[in-house]
Amino acid sequence: MPPLSGWTLWITGFVGKAPALDQAMGFLANDFFVPVAIGLVMLGLWLGHPDPFRREQFQRAIINASAAIGIATLVVRILNLYDFWPRPFLVADTVIRESATYAAQVVFYLPHDPTFPSNAAAISFAAATGIWLGNRKAGTVLYILAFLWVFARFYAGIHFAIDLAGGAMIGVVTSVMISKVFMPRTEPIPTLALKVARFLYIA
Amino acid sequence: MALDYFVLVFLAAVGVYQIASIPAGLEGLWFFKHQKVQYLFGVLAVIGAFVWFYTDEERNIQPTVEGAQQLVLFLGAIIGAYVATALLASIIQAKLRSRGSKLVKGKQHDLGMETLKTTTLFGGILSSLRKTREDED
Repeated sequence: MPPLSGWTLWITGFVGKAPALDQAMGFLANDFFVPVAIGLVMLGLWLGHPDPFRREQFQRAIINASAAIGIATLVVRILNLYDFWPRPFLVADTVIRESATYAAQVVFYLPHDPTFPSNAAAISFAAATGIWLGNRKAGTVLYILAFLWVFARFYAGIHFAIDLAGGAMIGVVTSVMISKVFMPRTEPIPTLALKVARFLYIA
Repeated sequence: MALDYFVLVFLAAVGVYQIASIPAGLEGLWFFKHQKVQYLFGVLAVIGAFVWFYTDEERNIQPTVEGAQQLVLFLGAIIGAYVATALLASIIQAKLRSRGSKLVKGKQHDLGMETLKTTTLFGGILSSLRKTREDED
């Protein structure tokens, strides 16, 4: 059992008490809503500023965030090779298992891929951090979306808190490393990529 | 499910292009003369896409669209939506405002989307082709 597994029992205890809340959490925990919303915010930021200089800054932040999403996914895939612990609805402890199974069936479904670290947390926090480093306002919106997504998955009993914290940490660290260390050293590749994109009228 | 996901992103992206092109002043992507109408259209396209997607059928099921496939579909849909928006805006503006024939000054790889502030996408392409021909002559 991972640390803080008691929190899962506490949060899944709320499932079934307020159907409207369960429905809202099911919508937020969904595989599509938050990722698409994050993508659309990034798309709006890509072309939404009137000043070409500021627009280019935002576009660079989006390129950094996208690279960070890719690297964070890779890190998660590598860590997923090690079977740290099972999903909350598969643990040996019957009380936690039954509570998490009920929560997952009501709010979400029973996923069977590895639980630690959470890929959802890694990619959403990687995106939010990458954008936040370029645009505080849009970054804050993405952090809120990322937080809602991981909280809903915690509420649904499909992750332990430590899975989500681990994923979020991978996302944040990867994004900072990509934006501050790696990407500045890859010049002039990002500049050339933006030139090609400008030639194609997409930047 | 993959097709539904593509349609969701495509429609929502068209809405985002309409909304985001207002503050950016990218008139070459505008469908409407009035900004309020365009904003309303954009918001309705985004909300409508999500409402359709989530009311059409149950979406909290074992994923049939995996992460990598989602990424490919997302990129395809936003590029498709951009081309569709630019094409439709070019047709509308050519009919209504007789735009798209201006000669844009500067190199396209420096200007990028800035071109869309003064002309449509196809107007910009035509202008680039004319400039290339003039340079050759």
